Order: sequence, then structure tokens, then C-alpha cells
Amino acid sequence: MPEISDAAILSALGRQLNNAVAKQTVAASNLANLDTPGYRTHDVSFDETLDGQLGGVMRTNTSHLAAPPTDGTPVEAQGLASRRDGNNVQLDRELLALSKAGGEFSRAQTALTAKFRLVRYAINEGR
Amino acid sequence: MSGLSSAINASASALDAQRARIEVAVSNIANAESTRGPDGLPYRRRDVVLSATPMDADPFANALGRAQAVGVTVDEVVQDQDAFRRRYEPSHPDADAEGFVATPNVDVPEEMVDMLGAARAYQANLTAINLIRDTIQRALELGR
Repeated sequence: MPEISDAAILSALGRQLNNAVAKQTVAASNLANLDTPGYRTHDVSFDETLDGQLGGVMRTNTSHLAAPPTDGTPVEAQGLASRRDGNNVQLDRELLALSKAGGEFSRAQTALTAKFRLVRYAINEGR
Repeated sequence: MSGLSSAINASASALDAQRARIEVAVSNIANAESTRGPDGLPYRRRDVVLSATPMDADPFANALGRAQAVGVTVDEVVQDQDAFRRRYEPSHPDADAEGFVATPNVDVPEEMVDMLGAARAYQANLTAINLIRDTIQRALELGR
């Protein structure tokens, strides 16, 4: 099994930071428009996209529904109940998303700091 | 980083909009009995029109399909054109020939509910700003 290089780990952690930021941005936008008539909740769904890729489900016919975009583009969230003014933002859902994304950012940041500490240790010849 | 600061800007724009809603609800309640305005007519109920606005129209981020913060702005404050209420009070100086006074089309309980909703939304956006600020703080700790 090939050794996972430092660069791969660093860039993976960097991507996780970016994803967490994208999630927080979208959740903050949804919260800001809590009372805007006609506003639809948006989502970035990296985890679901990853699950879809790992599950190996392929699109075998062009008339099948396409998979959501994989590049972190915000898409309209499905399956949420709308209010009468056409708005479907849910306060608790968005606050939860904000906290969750904050936790993800925190985790990746802790791991990155540990990585950097090792690099610094090596540079300083173990001193 | 620009993503996080524009997210904070989006939440701040929501604070602004919700404060405007509370102000309008307060002036509606304050004038629930004002039978004479500058135009000689009773006070008309005011309403805030909100609309979603992308925070920074960054063509680069757009081209990459990156998540963009969407804030909210107060488009305008409109007057409710519903009919005035009529109350029988012949001794009132603004009573008409039949003894009816036209009073503002303000429903006080409705305004209170609107104000509560705006206050809750304000709180939620304040929480969002604090959470994003924590994230920025963590990002700065990467440099230590």
C-alpha cells in the first residue's frame, strides 16, 4: 500500500476547511433570508455527493435524474415544507448546519496545526 | 476568507432588515389611534418589503460556481391600502356627520406577532455572526 504523502493529507484538510466555509456561507445566507418572501433554502452537499460516488451508482440512461453537481455549487434544498409566502427556510436546520460546519472547520484546523507542528519539528532538527 | 467575511456581511444585512421591521412595527403600534396625519387622513399601516441580494457580485467566484453569500435588503416601506376602521364616537373632533371616526387600519396583536418574529430572526442572525467569528478565529490560529 502506497504511503499517503504529507501533501495529500494537507490538501485534503485544506479542502475540508473550504467545504466548511462554503457550508457556513450558505447557511448564513439562508438565515439572513429567513423572512424574505419567495426565498428558497440552498444547500451545498459534499457528503451526499461523496456517498453517491463511493456507492458506485452509475447513470445508465440520459433520461434518469442527474446527480447533483460535485463542485460545491449551492443547489436548492429538496423536501422542505414551504410557508405561504413561498419561503422554506427553517431556523433550527440552518443554525444546526452553522454549528456542524464550525465543528468540521475546527477538526480540520486541529489536524492541520498538528501537521504543521511536525514540519516545524523536522525543520528545527528535533529541537 | 472572503467567503467568511461576505457571510458575516450577509448576516449583518439581515440584522439591518430585521431592525427596520421592528421599527416599522413599533411606529404602527404607536400610531394605532392616530386619526389625523399630515395629509389630514388617519395613519396608514406601514409594511417592510424585503428582497434577497447577493453580497458581492464576484465574477470569478461566479465562474467557479463557488458558494456566494446572499444577504437581504429592505426594498421599500409601503403603506397598507386596506380600508380604515370605523368606530362610533360622535363626540370625537374627527367624527363625520353620522358620528363615525375613521381609525388607522392597524391591528395591534398582528404587529406584536410581527415584532416577535423579527426579534427572533435578529437573534438567530446574531448567533450566526458569532459562529462565523469563531470560525475566523480558528482560521487565524492556523498561523501560530
